[in-house]
This record gives sequence, C-alpha cells and structure tokens, in this order.
Amino acid sequence: MSDFTTTIGLEVHCQLLTQAKMFCRCSTDYIGKEPNTLVCPVCLGLPGSLPVLNQKVVELALRAALALHCQILPQTLFHRKNYFYPDLPKGYQISQYNLPIGIDGFLEFYSQGVRKKARIRRIHIEEDAGKLVHEGAFLPPGTSGVDCNRCGIPLVEIVTEPDLSSPEEARDCLMMLRNIVCYLEVSDGNMEEGSLRCDANISLSSSSLTGVKVEVKNMNSFRSVYRALSYEVERQRKLLEEGKPVFQETRHWDEIKGVTVSARGKEEAEDYRYFPDPDLLPFSLKTEMIEEIKSGLLELPLEKEERFMTQYELSQGEAEILVQDREIADFFEDTLRNFNKPRMVCNWIVTEVFRNLKELGTTISRAKITPSHLAELLKMVDRKEISGTMAKSVLEEMFTSGARAREIVTRRGMALINDEKELENIVKEVIEKNPQSVADYLSGKEKALQFLIGQVMKETRGQADPELTRNILIKVLSSEE
Amino acid sequence: MKEVVYLSELEKIARLSKLGFSAEELQSFLRDINDIVAHFEKLNQLDLQDVSPTSHLGGGEPPFFSDEPQAWEGSEEVLKGAPWVAGGYFIVPRIVDKEEKENEDRRI
Repeated sequence: MSDFTTTIGLEVHCQLLTQAKMFCRCSTDYIGKEPNTLVCPVCLGLPGSLPVLNQKVVELALRAALALHCQILPQTLFHRKNYFYPDLPKGYQISQYNLPIGIDGFLEFYSQGVRKKARIRRIHIEEDAGKLVHEGAFLPPGTSGVDCNRCGIPLVEIVTEPDLSSPEEARDCLMMLRNIVCYLEVSDGNMEEGSLRCDANISLSSSSLTGVKVEVKNMNSFRSVYRALSYEVERQRKLLEEGKPVFQETRHWDEIKGVTVSARGKEEAEDYRYFPDPDLLPFSLKTEMIEEIKSGLLELPLEKEERFMTQYELSQGEAEILVQDREIADFFEDTLRNFNKPRMVCNWIVTEVFRNLKELGTTISRAKITPSHLAELLKMVDRKEISGTMAKSVLEEMFTSGARAREIVTRRGMALINDEKELENIVKEVIEKNPQSVADYLSGKEKALQFLIGQVMKETRGQADPELTRNILIKVLSSEE
Repeated sequence: MKEVVYLSELEKIARLSKLGFSAEELQSFLRDINDIVAHFEKLNQLDLQDVSPTSHLGGGEPPFFSDEPQAWEGSEEVLKGAPWVAGGYFIVPRIVDKEEKENEDRRI
C-alpha cells in the first residue's frame, strides 16, 4: 500500500450574533418565523434601496479576527460577488474580496493530546442568502419556494491554510474555532441550525503524485465533518491505488448513506465578476476601535485549558471537557471558590452534572443548581456526612427542585451510618442471609465481597459508610474462617 | 445625437424587469439612457489605466447604523408584487433535482 499524505483546509461560515441584519434593520431572529416577514427593500434587493452597514457587524468580525491573531488591514472594502440563483434576490452577494477584514492569523488546538497549529488565511464579512424549500404540500409541482428572512444576515467566513493532516485534526480544529466564536459571543456556533457551517478542501498526495483538491460540503455536525473526511480519504486512496484519477470537484456529504456525492453541473470554475460595491464606501478601522476590542478580549478556550492544567493540575482531557463551554468552565471555577478540590469538582461536573443536564435537556445557565449549591453538596461528601451514592440522588433532586443539599438530606433523614457497632450488626445479618457468597469469598472470589457490600448498602438504603462497611466485612469474614 | 439604444431594446428590458411604462415614459427614458451612454463614450476617451475604481472616495467613516432591529411596515405588501406566491413563499421553477434537494439549501 502506498503512503499518502492527507491535506485538509477548512472554510467556516459563522452567523454573527447581531440583532439586526448586515445592511438593513430587519431582525435576524428568523428561526421559526413565517417566511418573508423579516424583509425590507434592502434585503429584497428592490430598486433604489441602499445598504447601510451595521456597526456591530464590524465589531464582531474584528473581535474574531483579533482572537485568531490576524493582521488587520488598514483599509477594508466590500465587493459584489455576482451569481444568479433565487436565494439572493439582488443577483449578487455583498462580500469581501481583496481587502478582507483580517489576514494571516493562526489558531491553536489540541488533537489527540498534541498541540497543533493551523494558519488562518483570511477572515472576511459577507451576507447570508435566503432559504429555498423544495418540499411541502403548499408547493405546486415542479417548483421551489423562496424565503428571504435569512437574506442579509451577517456572516464571517474564516479560511484556514491547508495545514490539517487528518479528519481528526480537521474536526478538532473546527471544535476549537467554534469554542472561540462562542466564547467571544461572536456567534452561537449552532451547527444543526446552520449558524456555523463548514466546508473542507481535501487532497491526498504522495512523493510521486500531486494532490487534487476536492471540496466537501453539507457537513452539519462535528461528527459528520469527521465521517465525511474519513470517507473522502478512503475514496481518494482507493482511486489512487487503482491508478485512477481524482477529479477536482465539489462533493456533498450524504449523512444518511454515509457517502460523498459529486455535485453535478458545478465542475466549471464560476466567474463571480467581483467588483467593488459602489453603494458602500471603503473604510479604515480606527486604531482606537481595534485597541478597545483587543483589550476587551476575554481569556480564550486554549488559554483557559492550559491554565486549568497548571493551576488545578487537571489532565489535558479533563481541562478540555471543562472549557468546551464557557458557562461550564465558569461554573467549575465558581464552585471551587467554595470548595477547593479541583479534581473532585471536575469529576462531579463531567459525570453527574452533565448527566443531569442531558436528562433534563437543559444548559448549566438555565439549570436550577448554582455553583455554591454544588460546593455545599460536595463538602458533605468530603466530610463523609453522606456517601457518593446518596449525593448522586440528592443532586438529582437539586436539579429538579432547586432545593439545597442540606435541606434534602435533612428532609429525607439521610445520614451516613458510621457507627461501627450499628454497621457490624447489619453486616452480620447480611452474612447470615448469604452463606453462598460468604463461601465464595472464603474460597478466594474477591467479587463476592463487592456483592456483600452491595447487600449492606441495600439494607441501609445506601446510607452505610462504604469504606467502613468494607473494613467491617473483611474483619467479620476473616473471623468466620 | 446618435441613438445607440433603441426603443425595442428598452421595451425588452422593461419586460424582463416586469415593469410597465407608458409610451411617453419610454420616450423619456430612451432620451436619458442615450444621454448616459454618450457620456460614458466621452469618459472612455480618458486614459484611466492607473486609476483605481474607488479613487474618488475618501477614506473617511462610512455611515453606520446601530444594531437595533426595526420592522419594515411594507413586508405584508411584498408578496403582493410577486407573480407567483404560495404558503408565504415566492415560488420559482424547481431549482434542483430531487436527489440533490437535501444538499442545495443555499449556495453560500
């Protein structure tokens, strides 16, 4: 088998978190709205209307560009990208061409535990297109419907250099990029709803073969980015090994069939006839504005991850899980303020807190539990007032009712049984009821001990001190020998 | 003045733009358009090799608006001007093949 090098570059579109559209004052809150209700002459491209730039768009794009270490060009300009397609009624998209807002940046991330770097070629601002529907009872046969609510919603397009060498790296790079735009509140980064979209260019080359670039589109989750690119690596590898050519083309990822499909009819490079938009002035970003945004940048995910590793002695994997969501990272640190055992807090968050959030289908900011409430619960576990098992059940109630741990424990009459005498009596009862397990243990089956501990827990409704139970069991059993 | 745009062309453009004009309006537009074309002919005599298309624009601040949404009152009227509407959508001839439909929500 030949050795091929995989080369991947990403093009990521993010909808910016503005209230109004990019060049008009229509609302951007389009999800679930009646079609063509958030429109005006500007975003519909009606004759005589003129675009006026939303200042917030520039601020958010600048924030992203600075966080990605981009060079900010002294002057920036909007171009018209002409194409004829019903999702954009003007007949052109206002975009940026040779003077984007930022160039030559980079992004660092971890992939399989190793720190990687992808260079950013450019980041530019452009407007989104409308939505086409091809199915629905209301549609006459052989037609498509156009909804312009999404027309003119601001986007940034971030283009990386082809610095990624595997589908895993591409996915991890995209995850970090998403974390950054979410941290900065530049975008909500929701891939399912399409507010973050990713296309990839991928080629395979070897010492004797130059790579041919294939563009893969329509990947709607991190998982599908990974799956689509893995599929494409195998597809191209097979072709090359059989001595067949790889065509330069655009391919769509089919999530259900798990394959990429050639997008017919788009083989030719399109001529977008870019030219400066005469309705919009070129403009310079003021140094004060750049400095202000720069100084306002918060700690970014990777910085936070590395700080968590050194400050709290967490592993890279643990730190990475915590920083993926800024609210979780803040929750973690806020909990530590009242209960300073980072490893224990981390473990509880990534297992029990995550499980409860998932079951309730909510996020940490909407959940009824607060960092100080979690700290109170963990303190009780730490002081051995309650067992871990009890705490899990208490936490569940804290999530559903919003009650405090102390209150729940008192109401339920929960307390760890750590009275040796009392436990010994229960242990003896259990031993009497389970002669087979006792025999198993005595003949060397360690597992039988776990079973007996479980039985004691059952008898005490989980309130027995697990460590003490274990010690007493071993002591009593050894006297049986 | 030499006529370079003919009435038939103007009528065709109006038809393609789905705009209706009276005979007087068409005559007036015809005059204006020919004046404009003649003006550009004159400009074409200049050597603009080294002049950038945006050279006449100053580098000052463009007008901005602040990020406050404001609904446009005419949005209900919009669909009334369209030749074909259903379910609140503008209707156009089917754009993609059935098998491609999942993938072609947008071009950007």
